Amino acid sequence: MRAVVKNGLGIFTPQGFLDGNSGNSFLSIEDVESTAKLNVEMVLVSLKKVVFFNRNGLDSFVKMFTKVRQKQHITVGFCDYDYKKFTAILKFYKDDINFSLFKSQEVASLFTATYKNQNKNILMYNSDKSQSAAMAIELHDNGHNPIIAQTQEEFNDKAKNKESYDVIIKDTYLGQMGQSVATRVTGNAIIYTVSSFLDAEIGNTFNIAYHNNSLNVGFRLFIFDAYKVVSMNIHALNFFSKLASSGAEYNATICFVGLSFDKTPVSFKETLEDSGIMFFEQMNDILHNKELLKELGASSASAVANKRVINKGIVTELPNFIEATVNTIEMMTNSQASKNAVKVDQIAISGKLEDKIASSIGFYGDIDGMIILVFPLDIAKKASQLLIGEETEDIELVLDTLAELVNIVGGKIKSLLFEAGINVNITLPRTYENVNSLLDVVGDKKGVQVDLSFDNDKFLFFLTR
Amino acid sequence: MITKDTIDSFIEKIPPSSKILKVTLSLLNEGELIKAAQIAKEDLALSAYLKNLVNKPIYGFKNKVDDVSQIFGILGVAKSQQAVYSYMISLLSPKKWSLFTLNQHSFHHLQDTLSLNWQKILHHLEITDKEIQSAITLLPASIIVAEALFNEKQEDVALLRSASDIDLNTILLRLCGVDLFDICAMIARKWEMHTTIVTIIQAASGAKPADEEKMNLLGKWMHLLLFFTLSQTEFIEAGLNDFIDFHIEYVDDIYEEFAQLMEIQ
Repeated sequence: MRAVVKNGLGIFTPQGFLDGNSGNSFLSIEDVESTAKLNVEMVLVSLKKVVFFNRNGLDSFVKMFTKVRQKQHITVGFCDYDYKKFTAILKFYKDDINFSLFKSQEVASLFTATYKNQNKNILMYNSDKSQSAAMAIELHDNGHNPIIAQTQEEFNDKAKNKESYDVIIKDTYLGQMGQSVATRVTGNAIIYTVSSFLDAEIGNTFNIAYHNNSLNVGFRLFIFDAYKVVSMNIHALNFFSKLASSGAEYNATICFVGLSFDKTPVSFKETLEDSGIMFFEQMNDILHNKELLKELGASSASAVANKRVINKGIVTELPNFIEATVNTIEMMTNSQASKNAVKVDQIAISGKLEDKIASSIGFYGDIDGMIILVFPLDIAKKASQLLIGEETEDIELVLDTLAELVNIVGGKIKSLLFEAGINVNITLPRTYENVNSLLDVVGDKKGVQVDLSFDNDKFLFFLTR
Repeated sequence: MITKDTIDSFIEKIPPSSKILKVTLSLLNEGELIKAAQIAKEDLALSAYLKNLVNKPIYGFKNKVDDVSQIFGILGVAKSQQAVYSYMISLLSPKKWSLFTLNQHSFHHLQDTLSLNWQKILHHLEITDKEIQSAITLLPASIIVAEALFNEKQEDVALLRSASDIDLNTILLRLCGVDLFDICAMIARKWEMHTTIVTIIQAASGAKPADEEKMNLLGKWMHLLLFFTLSQTEFIEAGLNDFIDFHIEYVDDIYEEFAQLMEIQ
């Protein structure tokens, strides 16, 4: 079974009847492990389409969860259930629950650092005080505003006033939360979320290959969201110092945000500063400061000293890149897509810039680079319709779907290149609500621009490094 | 990916039911079992299918049954009609499956499992109408249609489904405006199957409840039976479990009764 990966969650959705026999057929350890490797923070099994389950059925999943959690340090568990299913699971496992339970995928997202819609007002209640505290801390650390009811009655009363809250959490249980280093992209910066006690284990939980390839595809600002870090030891200190040194040749900047030195020696800060690492109290001190972003290399790729140019290796594979894009657009729109013009130059977007949105995805491995797709908004909506299922004016939804679309393009490229004997991995997709923010990133980089169209609707493909 | 033309071409390639099958069904409809058997014998493939069918352990006959007249006699009118329809559907199945990990044996096993449990359900609901009994035979056609339309698009489907929780039925509906069950209905009409069968199958998709209460109820039972069957190891491993969406809320009111009948603990 294949998982749907979205917003840092990898979700498996078995259907029907789940018992000891069927459990292992629905899901294999390879399925779970390969999903866990896709930079997800949680791997969950949705029970929304399971009409019957028993302990044996769940056990087959729980065994896999335990293995993957130990190996990949991510959060694992179940989601999308009703009260009856929730109480059944609690009854089956009593005091031996080492996985998490989230009433819905929306609730699960609130507990991830990848989730971008922060600052939610969340009403919650849990009769278990330690659970209540753990949830409140996690929610707060993820940038939300938890409102904790002290009693069931208070919760019921407050819950009547649904408009006052963005989300109401009930029937949720936090097992061991993941300790992997969550990754998200904001603007042109990559944000890693680290937590608790940082020791030698950071070498295992931090995806160094992803970091190096992000450097390769042009990211220059890396922020460690360290609000939840209690302290770090000498091994972690060495790790971050080395990370800063290795990034120096790319002119990259590493920042720590929210790191407290109550339990970490202040001398560590000095050592890290000597390595070029910068410290900030609040995330917004960086993200809302355009001047600083520019200085740190996050607002414009033109700040990079050694501009990487498109090379023969990439150009040779151009037909594969275009084929993947054309095939995906044809699949999504069920219409014929065609190539109109090709040129090697800086990106040139014609027409009104404000009517256009864009998305991009990087690839790295045997070759590396970045693909950018620029769509007129109406065309983007059309291309998103297969996944959304209806016409929409919700720009956020269109951008999310466009990210999925470019992710599919990336997946197709990966498999086409693999057939040609070239191994690449793809980064997280990015979307741009306006073209100006895209131009900030691309700057004056040269690349291959291909004007494409389907049903006479034009869009732009740009391949660069 | 898949267009209306692809669907039209698929339907066009389906041969009309043969004269022997038409006459056999017509005689069965009139209750003429012996005459129907005499005609059915002329179609050697049908005879072989029927012999193979009733001699499977799942049917539980002690002695081997060889003669078509004997088979129709044992099965009775309704089950004989059901068996002939199952044969017709099996004619549509591909020689080699690629989207789903099935073969002729496992597809027949799926047909048999659905048919026997459908009998059990209809017995429980005290329904003897032979068209309703035969309705189950059209259900596996949805799997054949999915295989035929999507087998060359497996990679696209896999990529699409890794980004979105979307089933084959919905993909087809959004691309072409018709779903797998609409196509099953087209096949049924081409083969002049009774309208009751078409109505129940549409409701059994779980996405299109029937207007008539009885038909809707039967659609619910069939939808739940389908997912009860597709939750068996053999069919999960064949990749059938999520080819269409299970509408759990649609079957909510009959689940307890179903669980008791199927002795689910």
